[in-house]
Order: sequence, then structure tokens, then C-alpha cells
Amino acid sequence: MNFEAIKAIYLFEMARMRRTLLQSVISPVLSTSLYFVVFGSAIGGRIQEVEGVQYGAFIVPGLIMLTLLQNSISNASFGIYFPKFVGTIYEVLSAPISFVEIVIGYVGAAATKSLILGVIILATAFLFVPIEIRHPFWMVFFLVATSITFSLFGFIIGIWADGFEKLQLIPLLVVTPLVFLGGSFYSIHMLPPFWRDVTLFNPVLYLISGFRWSFYETADVSVGVSIAMIFFFLAICLGLVWWIFRTGYRLKA
Amino acid sequence: MPNAISISNLSKTYEGGFTALHGIDLDIRDGEILALLGPNGAGKTTLISLVCGILNPTTGTVNVQGHDIIKDFRAARQLIGLVPQELHVETFETVWATVNYSRGLFGKKPDPALCERILKDLSLWDKKDNKIMQLSGGMKRRVMIAKALAHEPRILFLDEPTAGVDVELRKDMWQLVRRLRENGVTIILTTHYIEEAEEIADRVGVINKGRLILVEEKKELMRKLGKKQLTLELVEGLPELPEALSHYDLDVQDGGRRLVYSYDTQAARTGIGSLLADLNRAGIAVKDLDTEQSSLEDIFVSLVEEAR
Repeated sequence: MNFEAIKAIYLFEMARMRRTLLQSVISPVLSTSLYFVVFGSAIGGRIQEVEGVQYGAFIVPGLIMLTLLQNSISNASFGIYFPKFVGTIYEVLSAPISFVEIVIGYVGAAATKSLILGVIILATAFLFVPIEIRHPFWMVFFLVATSITFSLFGFIIGIWADGFEKLQLIPLLVVTPLVFLGGSFYSIHMLPPFWRDVTLFNPVLYLISGFRWSFYETADVSVGVSIAMIFFFLAICLGLVWWIFRTGYRLKA
Repeated sequence: MPNAISISNLSKTYEGGFTALHGIDLDIRDGEILALLGPNGAGKTTLISLVCGILNPTTGTVNVQGHDIIKDFRAARQLIGLVPQELHVETFETVWATVNYSRGLFGKKPDPALCERILKDLSLWDKKDNKIMQLSGGMKRRVMIAKALAHEPRILFLDEPTAGVDVELRKDMWQLVRRLRENGVTIILTTHYIEEAEEIADRVGVINKGRLILVEEKKELMRKLGKKQLTLELVEGLPELPEALSHYDLDVQDGGRRLVYSYDTQAARTGIGSLLADLNRAGIAVKDLDTEQSSLEDIFVSLVEEAR
């Protein structure tokens, strides 16, 4: 293992976050606060409680997941896409490092950023609503596992993308709708039976449900299934990354 | 002396079916400066990219001081520094950050003193806290060289280092190359400027259409392929070439006031002696004479044309 190289990539990427502190931290915090105002206060005034949890508090895990997913993907995809775009990737390819080390460096940095954001948003949420965390260990587990998994996914998108449009395509067209329809702002038990069944095909549902369970012990699906699902996503992403590594897909002709 | 790099049967065919390199065999000696010459699209950059690990070879092997570039890529790449042709820089980073990053990427522990020396050598020290996007093109080129040197490579690839570079930087660059060579660094450079290869290289390789046409000691090459010309300035113009001189390969210029005689330096008899004697016999007085050897550029052009 070339630890110096992993460190170099990791710190270089983290420096990028420090430089763009405003976009990196302020904007997700701001948009989350807006969600609190709109969904928590305006709608929460009418719904009051979902499964015994105050509505404002009920949506916190979903909001954190939304930010986590969006930021993991955008951080990691941009992190690897940008060197490809400006050409500085030549240095990474010619350095004495393996693909595994490249992935650890880039994905590690992206996941760290997401984690930091997740924690900041959780702290922000405490200002708005009463929150309890019944299973801190599992909460941290979902936070970390989701950050890593979706940073890997973002890395894959960054490798695949050959233009800035594609970089935005999946986060905007796929991930955001899945998060909104995955029970961020409601329990699927509030849906008609048909849509409830459809929602079960939404992978994000399992993440949000498990994460929410770690807070309030209320879940749309059993927590065991959620944990299994996150490992399943992780396995898919690792498989794809392994395939990219084997073929040099879009990195190395 | 052992070889710095041994390339055998190296070829590259791109996905579209275009073959950029055809079975290259090349040994690069330890500590030498090898200049690779070739027209645009000849395969110079492809060759460098293959050795440096940026492209995967279709066939063939490359050994860097005995380390296979695929099986033993860590050891091989550690030894190599690359300055690519294009200006690929981390626009938003400072010079200092990017040079230190390069060192880390190659697995070396931070060494601020070394990075400082490199930046000073390249006249970049006063720019170390500038963002790269604030630098001029020539300065960016210096940054790329600094990055390539940050991990103390034993072999340095310079791909068209002087393309679009002003005279001063070019001079600095050659000084740096000489200094590196004195420290035992092997240098491989590609260039369009043949006079540079002529000035600095120990050996010259010519690539055309993905094939290595030749690799030769520069002096040997120029001796072998070089033609010499003897120019004679006459006291009085000749209205026409006398019969006695017609069997010489003579070019009459300047209204008969100048005769140019081309001869092969390799030939057993150059014919200079008899030419001068015949001139004397014909009563033609010579005011001045001058000999000129063909440059590497002439040799290069004739080689590439031959291969066409």
C-alpha cells in the first residue's frame, strides 16, 4: 500500500472542500433549513405526528439522507471527473499507486465530506425540533455506510461521465426523485396499498427507513432488511469499481 | 552500462483500430539524453504514455531498471518523472500545494527543503503561494517540470518541453536538463526543434508513422548521413563551367562567382584535392573557401521522406 499517495489524494481533496467551504457546507445547511421551514413548520402544523413522532422530527433522518446521498455523489463524481476534464489525471495514472488506492483516496475524501455535512445538519436539526437517538451505534453505521456507498457510486458516475451534463444527470434525474419518493417526508403506510408496493422497489426507502429506525424505532421495513440492502448496494458499487479497474474503462485506453 | 529502460516489441492499437505504434524495440541507456524526433502524430507521445502507464500496451514489454512496468509497476513508476506536452495543471491550487501533492502521490514523505530547492531552480519560488491560474503559460510549464521532479525521479520524460516556450525559459530548461544529467538522471525528450536535439542529445531516435526508423549516436548519425559542401568564392565570375570541371558535381551560383561542391564524407576519395588541382590548372583563382556539414534537420527530413 502506498499510504503517502492515499494521504496525498485525500488531503488534496479535503483542501478542495476547505477552499469551497461556502458551497460545500453552507448551501446544504441552508437548503435543509428551508425544508424544515416548509415541511416541518408549514405542513407539520397540519400533520402533527407520524407513528408517534412529531412530524418535524420525523423528517430529520430523511433530510439527512437526502443531503448525504446528493453530496456523496456530487463530491465523489466531481472529484474524479475534474482531473479527467482538465487532464491532470495523467499524474495519478503515472504514479506508483494502484486503482484501489486511488479509490480509497477519492472516495474516502468524498465520504468524509458527506459525513461532516450529515453531522452539521443533524446539529442544525436539534435547533428546530426535539430529536432522540435510540440506537447511536446504528445511526453512525447508516451514516458511514451510506456515505461510503454513495461516494463509490459517485466515483463511478465521475468515471463514466464524459461531460458536465452527465455528471448532473443521475443525481438530478434519479437520486433526488428516489429520495423524495422513498419516504423522506412520510411513512409509506400513509400511501394507498398499490403505491406502497411500488415504493418497495425504491432502494432509497430502505436506507431512510433503517436510518429513521436508529432514531425513533419506527420503520417502514424491518431494520434487518435495511442493513442487508445497504450491504447489497455496497457490493454492487464495489463490483462496478472492480470492473472499471479491470478494464480501465474511460480511464486508460 | 545497464539500460535505464528496455522496450521490446511494444505496440499500441487503439480501440478504433488505429495502430499508433508498431513493435518498437528500444534500449535507453542509463544516464543518457535521448531525443526522439518525429513529425506530428508519429507516435512519440503514445510511446511515452505507454512507458509511464497512462496507456495499456497492446503487445510488448517495458522494463525500467529491471522492473516490468505492469508486474512491478510500483518500482518502475517510482523511478520515472513525466512532463507531458499539454499544460495540465490544477488551476485552483497554489504552486506549493501542487508540487507537494505530486511528491506524495509518488509515495515520498514530504520534504519541504527539496521542494523549495526545485522551485528555486525553476525560478518559481516567489510564485509558490500563487494560484496556478494566475501564472503565465511559461510559468505553468515550469510548474509541470517541478511536479515531475518532486519525487526525485531517475528517469525524466520531457514531451515537447519547449513547444510554445520563450527563449529564456528554453535556455533555463536546457541548463536544468544538463544539471540533471550530471546527477545521473536519464532524460528522454521529444522535440520538433531539431537544433535542440542537435545541441543537447547524446543519441537521437527518429519515429515516423509508429515505427522507430533509427536510433543512433548523434555524432555517428551526423557523420554517417551528413553530406558536406565545399563552397568556393572565385575572384572572377565564370561565364560558363570549363570542360575540365564538368565531371564534378558542381553547382554554379551568384553569376559564376561561387562554386558549390557536394561530397560524401564517408567516401574513400572526396575529390577535393583533384578539384582544387583542376581549378588551378584551368587558371581559376579562388578567393575564399568554406565547408559546411548538413544539419540534423536535413538528415531528419531526408529520413522521413525516404520512409514515405
